This record gives sequence, structure tokens and C-alpha cells, in this order.
Amino acid sequence: MVHADDARISDETLIGRVAAGDSSAFARLIRRHGAMVYRFARAAAPQETDCEEILREAFLAARRGAGRYRDEPSGRSWLLALARRAVERRSPRPGAGSASFGELARAAARRGPAAWDGSGGPAEAVAAALAALPAEDREILTLYDRELLTLDEVARVTGIADAALRTRLHRARLRLLAELKGALRGG
Amino acid sequence: MEDERIVAGLHCGEVVADVTEYLEGRLSPQRAARIGEHLNGCDDCQRLAEEISAVVRALRALPEEPLPPEVEARLLASLGSTEAAPHG
Repeated sequence: MVHADDARISDETLIGRVAAGDSSAFARLIRRHGAMVYRFARAAAPQETDCEEILREAFLAARRGAGRYRDEPSGRSWLLALARRAVERRSPRPGAGSASFGELARAAARRGPAAWDGSGGPAEAVAAALAALPAEDREILTLYDRELLTLDEVARVTGIADAALRTRLHRARLRLLAELKGALRGG
Repeated sequence: MEDERIVAGLHCGEVVADVTEYLEGRLSPQRAARIGEHLNGCDDCQRLAEEISAVVRALRALPEEPLPPEVEARLLASLGSTEAAPHG
């Protein structure tokens, strides 16, 4: 069955069809969100992880669990939460640390150039600085600042409550700034 | 970045802690106004706010990597999905 107007089919509808055994709907779900889940796996999992396997496990879990889909912020956060579980099964991760905001801001300020306005930071440098951060930071920045999930959605994926989540987001941004400035300075 | 400095009645440390919330528009109007006042009078905090904004812009400007076609094909095959029209 071909759906001519696929973009208008909501994730919830697709997931409902998956629950009913519609393999065409499952393929559509993969096409719609596979890249996002894969990017998340690459950001959240340790470097040596087989992210294709994470992707497969997440969608396998989605097919098995589609019948229980309800009260979710969104289909994408549900899928990403499944992917995160697959990542965690492989690598229970240490936290990114709890340095104070002041310490992190000073670390960023110490690193040149004196003030960074976004210029001179090619995408490669930003991606490399992001990759150098602890997994916890990479994860939250990927979800919120790259995939543009809402805080509710990020909370669903990570299992971190709202206030703590906002604190972690701020810390992750400060650490990325310090990392990026250090890299642009060459040290 | 001097935590003990006070501008517009706020320590820099308080402002540093609230920068993301300020930039995201999640503070109360009163709190946001005080932070804005501090930023106008504090070069260090102003610079930090601008740098955090630049970091966010840089992250959002990163190219969105697509799923490699061979990965998608293997995934669809391994999960036994029926091929559908390639849109969506």
C-alpha cells in the first residue's frame, strides 16, 4: 500500500499501524526517523560502538513495543529513548562532572581567543569539540541544540527531570564553549 | 570572570548560572530584566552570553547527516520491513 501523502501521517498514526502489523508503516517510520536515531547513537555511544546495531535494536524495540505506545511527548522522543536504552546496555556512562557554572565559565574565559563571536569556527571544529565532550554532554547538546527536541522530549529520552536537565544543558554548553575556544587557539 | 562582582544588584556568579535560561527566554520578566541590566553593565558576562549564543548557533548550523543508504537498506532488510515509496 502506498501512501501518497506520507508527510501528513502523524508519528502516532504510523506507530499505531506498526502495532497492527503494517510493515509498510514500519518502513516509513524508519525512513522518517532513522537518520535522527543514528545521529543520536553516534553522539551518545562510545566511539567504538556499532551504531548500526543500536539503530537496529531501537527499531526492533519500537516494533515490539508499538502496541504500548501512549502518553509520550512525541514519537521521536519515544524512539530516541529506545535508542538510549540500547546505548546504556553497552556502556553505563560516568557523569560529566559537576563543576560549578563559575568554574566552567572561567575555564572558557581562560581559553582564547579573548571573545569568540562564532566566526573562525568551521563545522569541523564544532563537531570535533562536541565529540571531545563527555557522553552526557554530547547527548544533551545533540538532542536539544541539534535535533531541536523540546525540554519535555529530552527529559523523556534521558530520564532527567526538568530542573536538572536545564542545569546540565547549561553546563554542557559551557564545556563546549571552553573546548571550542581551546581548539581554535590551538591548545 | 569575577564571581564576586556586583552589577545591577546581581553577582556575576548568579548571572553566569542563568545565562542559558536567559537566552532561552525561560526566566520571569522581572528576572530577565535584571539579568539584562547586569549584562549591559558587565563586559565579562556580556561576552559569555554572546559566546554561548554563538555556540548554540554553531551547533544548530552543523550539517544534518543523513542515514547512509546502505545502512537504511540493511536495517530494512534485517527487520523484514516491506519497502514503501521513498518519501517521508
